[in-house]
Amino acid sequence: MPRPDGIPGSLLLGPFPVGQYAAKFQAEMRKVARVQLFGEVWGFKAGQARVYFELRDAGGALPCSMWRNEFEALATGPLPDGAQVVVAGGPAYYPGSRTSSPHFSFDVSAVRLAGEGDLLAQLDLLRKRLDGEGLFAPQKRLALPALPRTIGVVTGLGGKARDDVLAGLRRRGWAGRVVWAFAPVQDRHAAPAITRALQDLAALGEVDVIVVARGGGSLADLFCFCDETLCRTVALLAVPVIASVGHHTDRTLLDDVAAVSCSTPTHAAETAVPRHCGEARAALARAAARLDQHGRRAVLDRARVLARLSRAPGQHVDRQRATLHQSLRELRAAGRRGLTTRAERQARFATVLARKGAATRTEAARAATLERLRLALDAHDPARTLERGYALVEGPDGGVVTSAADARAAGAVRLRFSDAAVDATISGQP
Amino acid sequence: MTYETAIARIEEIIRRLDSGEAGLRETLELLREGRGLIEFCAAELDAVGQGLEELRLDELVARLESRNAA
Repeated sequence: MPRPDGIPGSLLLGPFPVGQYAAKFQAEMRKVARVQLFGEVWGFKAGQARVYFELRDAGGALPCSMWRNEFEALATGPLPDGAQVVVAGGPAYYPGSRTSSPHFSFDVSAVRLAGEGDLLAQLDLLRKRLDGEGLFAPQKRLALPALPRTIGVVTGLGGKARDDVLAGLRRRGWAGRVVWAFAPVQDRHAAPAITRALQDLAALGEVDVIVVARGGGSLADLFCFCDETLCRTVALLAVPVIASVGHHTDRTLLDDVAAVSCSTPTHAAETAVPRHCGEARAALARAAARLDQHGRRAVLDRARVLARLSRAPGQHVDRQRATLHQSLRELRAAGRRGLTTRAERQARFATVLARKGAATRTEAARAATLERLRLALDAHDPARTLERGYALVEGPDGGVVTSAADARAAGAVRLRFSDAAVDATISGQP
Repeated sequence: MTYETAIARIEEIIRRLDSGEAGLRETLELLREGRGLIEFCAAELDAVGQGLEELRLDELVARLESRNAA
């Protein structure tokens, strides 16, 4: 854009390009010393990259902005209207461009909550930081002993809290060992002294649980129990800590990091001894009685079983004896039956044999008869006669010729010898 | 062992015995263990029943140091 003519009659320099002037203005702003301001916050809002608010007092106001990530690192949360703060920074001017608007603000690099009431705000800030670091959890993970032998108590010397703790312990019927670690509880020396006392008690190794007791007071008086070092120390102690330093309306950071927070020292003492010792003794006696009862019952039950078992062998023998007797009777009966049967069978065999013997004798007689007959027959066999030198005369018709007349009548005969036959002719006359 | 673990074990033993499922050998072992635990718990209760003892921290430290020296 070409430089236009100036305003007629004006004695001021220029005209200059606005961007050139804006850049120079930005450079001049950066030369302004960075300072701390205090005032009240109004109109806090968070953008994507920065947070914005106005810082006001009776004399004026200033727009402020801060990188959002730096503000969130403070963990204060959104600043409410009227919150009194101290801010550190310096003026900054953004010159803008043809497409973006210029912007002026006090560029804040640090914020601290201040003024009356900032105690709670600072407390809340520290609480968020410790919580963010996970320091509220370790003590909660420590188990409170059901029956501590030694209880450490950190409290003020001569305070009412001491009596309250003792009263709480008596109400539990507890009469163990109390180790008192007296420390100031409300001045600027309190936090370091309490911290040392806690460390010493925990280091002894004989203290089972520690009570930090105070009878209450304003939050300003209790602020030593919000000490960061104290709270970090408690968070990392290996001995559970029971806090009883304030009330519900003014909760300290020690209440947050401790294993348990109680409203009164008496309650803290009762928490340190969860069981009433008298009731615990009674319960233990009941448990012992139950065990004895089980022991007696087990012995009696087993005795009955053993008695039953001890009687069993006699009964068993009796049963076996009866069985054996029965078997014996059956054997005898069977034996008698067997003998009878065998005798009968023998008799039958004898009869059969006798019959067989008789048959045999008959057959022998028959054989002898047959032999005799055979011999008789053999004696009458013509062949035998022929073998002795005799000859059989047969006629022409094959018939036997038994007389000389028949032989002459036949004229021709056959003489049969033992080995062969020959023909013969009858030639003579009688 | 702590008082609470001992008490928890005793209750567990009694539950087991009440169930009637334990045999003679197990019953006798549980009874023996339970009686030992009862004695332990009784000793723990006795330790906090003999009378309140109050010590200052420095007194306890001195006592422990003298014990260690001995």
